[in-house]
Amino acid sequence: MQPTYALIDCNNFFVSCERLFRPELENRPVVVLSSNDGCAVSRSKEAKELGIPMGAPHFKFREFFRQHGVVAFSANFELYGDISERITNQLASITPHIEVYSVDESFLNLSELAIPSYQAWGHQVRAAVLKQVGIPVSIGIAGSKTLAKLANDRAKKIPELSGALDLTQQGPATDHYLAQMPVRDIWGVGRKLAPLLGADGIHTALDLRQMSPKRAQQLMGIHGRQMQAELNNIPCLPLQQDHKPQQMVMRGRQFGEDTRAFHVIESATASLAARATAVLRREHQLARHATVVLSTSRHKPGYQRVSETVRFYTPTADTGAITSQLIRMLAASYNPYLDYHKADVLLHDLVPEGGLQTDLFGIVDLPGNTRSQQRMLALDTINLKHGKGTLKYAAEALSKSWQPRKRLSSPRYTSAWGELPEARLLG
Amino acid sequence: MATLDRPPEAYAEGRETGTSVSVHAGFPNPAAERTGAPLSLDKLLIRHPSSTFFFRIRGHNWHCYGVYDGDLAVIDRAITPRERGLVVWWQESGELVVSPFERAQQQNIWGTITAIIHSFTNER
Repeated sequence: MQPTYALIDCNNFFVSCERLFRPELENRPVVVLSSNDGCAVSRSKEAKELGIPMGAPHFKFREFFRQHGVVAFSANFELYGDISERITNQLASITPHIEVYSVDESFLNLSELAIPSYQAWGHQVRAAVLKQVGIPVSIGIAGSKTLAKLANDRAKKIPELSGALDLTQQGPATDHYLAQMPVRDIWGVGRKLAPLLGADGIHTALDLRQMSPKRAQQLMGIHGRQMQAELNNIPCLPLQQDHKPQQMVMRGRQFGEDTRAFHVIESATASLAARATAVLRREHQLARHATVVLSTSRHKPGYQRVSETVRFYTPTADTGAITSQLIRMLAASYNPYLDYHKADVLLHDLVPEGGLQTDLFGIVDLPGNTRSQQRMLALDTINLKHGKGTLKYAAEALSKSWQPRKRLSSPRYTSAWGELPEARLLG
Repeated sequence: MATLDRPPEAYAEGRETGTSVSVHAGFPNPAAERTGAPLSLDKLLIRHPSSTFFFRIRGHNWHCYGVYDGDLAVIDRAITPRERGLVVWWQESGELVVSPFERAQQQNIWGTITAIIHSFTNER
């Protein structure tokens, strides 16, 4: 049976999250900047119309923003992660067959649902997400993921479609949309293949669909054949559902004697985190969550434990990133009047390393990630050669990464009691 | 677990659930009858987790209704506001305000208030 896929994609996701709590920013140019280097990573339609390119560096555009009344935010990943989860949960209530492709995109397999009109269904889902979570989305529906993605792109760019397009039926109507789609914008083509195809006279999705399969394979290998089949509504890419094997890495240790000295707790936590992340890297996995547990002795009266969990929106195996976060949280929550007995570090919610490239946050962090991977590789190689712990993170280096909150960042509206949105009682 | 090599009554006291409560005689242990999960304020107050948000109430002019500055409002975007219900909506300035449904600008409604929580110990 021919399956049916839907791609639900949030429009300017980060900007939409900011607008949810700042309704006056509707219809005004808004950009969200990456946290480290201050480049535009999400732009409202109005900002795009002003000609602000993706990745526009803030320092170059500061004056331009001021002149045109562009509102700029520093990325507030806690907020975006929270809103993204809400949308995912809502979509998962439609069907359990969901692939969360990135923070703002999910594929659904609709094959098991009885839907009389996909276009109408798309508009319903769009209206529901807009009302219930407050985020505008676009929906593309087709018999393959590549075609669903193309439908989504058209639904987003053609206002008359009101945010949903059904390309499950093949014929002149569908060809019309394929003919509008530049080949470089097709999922899987990218910057490298587009000129290659252009030289062959292949400029649109329709051209690619109609080119000889032999030539497609010559130019792009098996990948090209697949892409062409997908454009012909023949699915080659199945839904990649998250199997989430229940796995975690845990390292724990008792202190020499019970202690309240933070530097002892800190260095123990750092070394546990270093050992745990080394295991992670050896197994080519990344962690989404890290937890540190600090407990007093069970055998003494007044047994107490504190546990702090940090969530990484970009999964990581970086010793520095994990350690600095855990220590920062411990510093805030440990009780200086208690003698602690034991510390444990847990890394959980693990994902395979290869799964990373699909994360939209990768755009923000990619150079950092490659750098961090190289750094980690060097660290592990040296420690393997010369014995564990030859190279270590210095505590000073850690304290440097306790960055103050960004000035342009919005409050953590949904994840901090002290930063909730406010509503005034009308008299 | 229950292999029924003993008479079924042996499991009736809650052994099956792993609580290993043994009742010899007399007053029955009320804990053995506990079947459900503990009461949860989340479950009571949050019907639609994906569309529920918390707001902080600002303003001192609703004391007569028992609503105070700093109270916590639970907002559900999924339910349709009803007459005499309370809603959060935005004014043209973007300011978010609370009023009865009838006094709100209908197209600017942000969400419906399902509960307002007043804490007697927190100083906010």
